[in-house]
Amino acid sequence: MGAPLFRGVVARLRKYRLEVALACPLFLYVLGLTIAPILDTARVSLTSPLDGHFPSLVNYHTILASDAFGAAVVNTVAIALLSISLQLGVGLAVALTLHANFRYRALVRTVMLLPLGVPTIVAGAVMLLIFSRSGYLNAVVFALADAVHALLGIEWRFVPLSWTVAGGWRTLGIVAVADMWKVLPMVILIFLAGLQAIPDEVNEAADVDGATRWQRFLRVTLPLLGPYITMAIILRAIDAFRIFELALVLAGRVEPVLGTYIWNRYGPPTNDPFTAAAASIVLFGLILVFVVLYLRVAHRGKEDRA
Amino acid sequence: MSRSAWHRGAPHDRLARLRRILFPLWVLGATLLVLFPIYLIFMVSVAPGIAIFGERPALLVTHPTLRFWMRVIARGDLWAPLLKSLTVASLTTMAAVATAAPAAYVIARLPARLRYGLVIGLLITRMFPEFAIGVSVATRFAGVGLVDDYLGLILAHLIGALPFIAWILVGTFEDIPRELEEAAAIDGTSRLGTLLRVIIPAATPGIAVAALFVWLYSWNEFLYARLLTTSQNTLPLQVFQAIDRGTKQQMAAVAAVLLLPILCVVSVLQRYLRPGTLTGAVKG
Repeated sequence: MGAPLFRGVVARLRKYRLEVALACPLFLYVLGLTIAPILDTARVSLTSPLDGHFPSLVNYHTILASDAFGAAVVNTVAIALLSISLQLGVGLAVALTLHANFRYRALVRTVMLLPLGVPTIVAGAVMLLIFSRSGYLNAVVFALADAVHALLGIEWRFVPLSWTVAGGWRTLGIVAVADMWKVLPMVILIFLAGLQAIPDEVNEAADVDGATRWQRFLRVTLPLLGPYITMAIILRAIDAFRIFELALVLAGRVEPVLGTYIWNRYGPPTNDPFTAAAASIVLFGLILVFVVLYLRVAHRGKEDRA
Repeated sequence: MSRSAWHRGAPHDRLARLRRILFPLWVLGATLLVLFPIYLIFMVSVAPGIAIFGERPALLVTHPTLRFWMRVIARGDLWAPLLKSLTVASLTTMAAVATAAPAAYVIARLPARLRYGLVIGLLITRMFPEFAIGVSVATRFAGVGLVDDYLGLILAHLIGALPFIAWILVGTFEDIPRELEEAAAIDGTSRLGTLLRVIIPAATPGIAVAALFVWLYSWNEFLYARLLTTSQNTLPLQVFQAIDRGTKQQMAAVAAVLLLPILCVVSVLQRYLRPGTLTGAVKG
């Protein structure tokens, strides 16, 4: 019973040997240097640090009982949701602008895509210059305060703020803004692809039917952009939940996210790979749950409309 | 615009006039906001000390100085990281294209279900925290002498680069009509010959965009570099060190060095960046 099946597989392998040979390197690589390390992390997360017992949930119990981990989860979810909404909103606005015809469009497009070439760590460095206590955001607010005083005669005593060490929403907010600046080009490119895929006839038909621009945007453009919005959300969610460098530079000690929490657990002085591995698995689960939930909601919406 | 049109659609027309004023303002504002951080890096890197300290740092530099650039260059800790970053990024790009392009072609020709399954599987590997993968990989690499080694870093960068480039290229190969291959087969070209002489040339624009993104990824990469480096820094590590213990200007000068070539490359190459290439395997 097994022999014909085996022979069938061998015959197929022989027929498609070129294809198998072409695809093999990629899959072996992913298997060896991605899947194996992931399984390795899962194994460590299930190993008891005290007696090496496996499988054991003690590491998960430890992190779930710790306040720092709880705070990191809340911060991560908050930053991710804030980042994704900001990036999608602003990205769509800029993409719509670049899709319109105006003078200097090529120049504006070039500028808008520039952050693509800025390393995340440099983005972190410059945001530090902007948002620190003696930073440029405060300088701009000071200038505004002066202008208000000169023009309206109202005295506005501005107390300089350190945005990075303030903690709470303010710090989470600047991490999200910094992240938005860095990844906006990607979101813009995805939405531009979507806008260019909409045939002109559809827009013309909407115009002939007397739709206003706003109606055309809501009833025609937005629904047709659907798959591209889904793609942008999923791609951005994967990175937003794992945000690390910007959070490390801007908020590392005040408002840790899961990325920096894991980093801190692995490194000195904690040197604890066990809870760090458990936290990594939790972060992976968090992203997977978000993506699956989102796809479910988006899919249900589509069925309702149909 | 005729008089009658004005009478018929007065409210709509006022809206249009408002838009004509607001639109350039919005474009100008957005452009300036995007440019500001880049301007700041270069400005601070040439600012003399006093200008940028205190509660209200100046937004303009009146007496620029190249002191900090000179210091960064003179300390000699610039060329080696620059060379390492350049080499690693370029070799990573070549290896990534050589590995991912053939596999992406095969995936693109698979039945839809299997194809989406594989692409989504690759995407799911990207959801795992890079740090955990990096630690596990670094432990193995330490055993075989791949820490502090160009090859080790290239292999690590491929972990992040391969799923992404495969994602873009599956979309590129899907767009190449099968008739092209069939015609070549009828002409008696072998399958490998078809791939090399027909498919790959047709896919060159997509491959170029994918290569650009891999190059940028490797040039910018921080985490794997940090885990796999004990002596020779890459440029991003050098920036991180400057954030940790340098002055503002030193940090800005190192960052500017990292930024200058890449901004030139991006501003020249972005005109070839057709948005459609990026959306890869999930069009429609």
